[in-house]
Amino acid sequence: MKIKTLIIGWLYPELMNIYGDIGNIVALVKRCQWRDVRAEVKMLNPDFDYKQLDDCDLLLMGGAQDRQQTIVNNDLKRVKKYLKNKIDDGTPGLYVCGGFQFLGNYYKESDGTIVDGIGIFDLYTENPGGKSERLIGNMIFKPKVKGLTLPVVGFENHGGRTYLGKNIQPFGEVIVGFGNNGEDKTEGAIYKESFGTYAHGPILPKNPEFADYLITKALERKYNSKIELKPLDESLEEKARIAIAKRLGVNL
Amino acid sequence: MDFLSILIGKTIILFSRTFNLGSGSTWPGHIALKLNQNFCRNILSKSKAIKIVVAGTNGKTTTGKLIASVLKASQKTYAHNVAGANLLNGLASELIQNSTLFGRIDKDYLIFESDEFALPQILENVNPDYLICLNLFRDQLDRYGELDSIAKRWKNSIDKHDSITLILNADDPLITYLGENRKNKFYFGLDGKENLKRLKHGADSIFCPKCSTRLTFEKVYFSHLGIWRCGNCQFERPKPTIIRASFYPLDGIYNKYNTIAANLLLNKLRFNNDQIVEGLKKFKPAFGRQEKISYKGKAINLFLAKNPTSFNESLATIMDLRAENILIVLNDRIPDGLDVSWIWDIGIERILDSDINIMVSGDRTYDMALRLKYAGIFFHSEENLENAINSMVDNLDSDEKLYVLPNYSAMLDVRKILLGRKLL
Repeated sequence: MKIKTLIIGWLYPELMNIYGDIGNIVALVKRCQWRDVRAEVKMLNPDFDYKQLDDCDLLLMGGAQDRQQTIVNNDLKRVKKYLKNKIDDGTPGLYVCGGFQFLGNYYKESDGTIVDGIGIFDLYTENPGGKSERLIGNMIFKPKVKGLTLPVVGFENHGGRTYLGKNIQPFGEVIVGFGNNGEDKTEGAIYKESFGTYAHGPILPKNPEFADYLITKALERKYNSKIELKPLDESLEEKARIAIAKRLGVNL
Repeated sequence: MDFLSILIGKTIILFSRTFNLGSGSTWPGHIALKLNQNFCRNILSKSKAIKIVVAGTNGKTTTGKLIASVLKASQKTYAHNVAGANLLNGLASELIQNSTLFGRIDKDYLIFESDEFALPQILENVNPDYLICLNLFRDQLDRYGELDSIAKRWKNSIDKHDSITLILNADDPLITYLGENRKNKFYFGLDGKENLKRLKHGADSIFCPKCSTRLTFEKVYFSHLGIWRCGNCQFERPKPTIIRASFYPLDGIYNKYNTIAANLLLNKLRFNNDQIVEGLKKFKPAFGRQEKISYKGKAINLFLAKNPTSFNESLATIMDLRAENILIVLNDRIPDGLDVSWIWDIGIERILDSDINIMVSGDRTYDMALRLKYAGIFFHSEENLENAINSMVDNLDSDEKLYVLPNYSAMLDVRKILLGRKLL
């Protein structure tokens, strides 16, 4: 049997890696390796050659500090067209927090300044500023995705409130926590096979069902055949989720 | 009014000590500030003590204690706030405890370690003679916010107090920047001879604080501390006044920084090298910071590991000490930060040797367990901390030590179990 390879494109690893986002990469790489799938990570730093996107089977982008977001925002404009094609084409991806917001139409800062997003996700984000608090804490949400049966457990920390437009679906429904805006119970977004979310923690090590979903979709798309990943022992992951759920009064 | 506050405060302190309710390190100050928000300013305006504030993500408590041990050995009188009581109410409590009923403080020196977020408020209230800034690392994003915004707050606040003499870490770009456009600043750094194999990931601030260009590092000691410069605006590491100390009482590169910073301050206070060395030789570590405790006849060493840099450096230090038995305890309570995602930013797979006996425990046992699983490291896990400690200790040979890496509230829990009561 020919060994399969998964190429993960990590968008702006040095700039967009503030919430332990590297844990998502580690989870994907290890879960591939444990199934004898080769995993490679391409580090896509500012000024990267956009042709590198062609090789990527799965994309990831995390969150960042404000100053670093400005640098990323400028670079994203440069590669916007190629990234959009890639996402429209069905390349699976995970965009967390700042990365999720960037893919929307715009971000309105607390002083009213509008920062353009790259408009791939039909959504916008507003930071109400003033006395409004950041939305911080452990969270649990129920994914609205065929193939995902387990609630996702994570941690959110965001000042911006995100509102979804008509052309996009939420990733899930909030069970405990704030989600996109603390009002409408939506959490994250799905467009084609791209996922936006406020759940870090990081999300993938503790929610292996979702990690495997991304790997499966990426491999199926690349090899154009049905992929069944070998099941792995997930008892620690389950204990880690249950420990939080119990505290939040949720029966998983 | 202040008389009343002090009376109430001193009574609370006496009560809490008598009945072992903790040392009363914040409540008296909290009440005094409710009665008079200028309480600290009033008391301090009547004092001739030299005031020293210590700030930084890692090393505040240790640096304060290093300074204090030299003051003590030189027969100077001083007051130093209790570790962890580092907000304004902790400062007020320190003042209550060390003043006469009429609010007079007869001490030569006041040392105050300040929480990162509270620093502007502390500077407003204390207007210190000296401010030591050790470093800024990622820590508790849910409480402090992002690193850049903390650095900005510090810079704005420090610029309003131009009489303070600054003692700054030249190897940390964000700290160096605090001295930009002002006088009365002195830098410390390392001498470039450290032999280092680790780092890379977890570098928190690799962008120029002036122009946001990526910095170039000729040398990295750990995280983003090293010999750096900006290729764009030419902002670069200033030449430090001091790069080594004659004596280091604690292991680890991070403690070299703390010791050198304390040396620089003490030089400015006109202590000579002999006095400094003599004082440092009498140094006893602060709670949980390389603290040695005997339990069931076995030696337990506590190395506080509260954020990625602190964890990496504590782990690297105990590896240098040939640790064979390690207990990692991870909690997620208010003083720790509720968010434990930082454990994915530690470089555990690069530092840890494979044949080590490791146990994980704490509120977030399974988050740490997953971190180790994905690092390919074999470990045991036990949610109940007391059982975890006992199971490790009972399996130690008589000449073996147990090294404990706890984060903040976990450290307090561990001490409570080892010592049989709460001591903070």
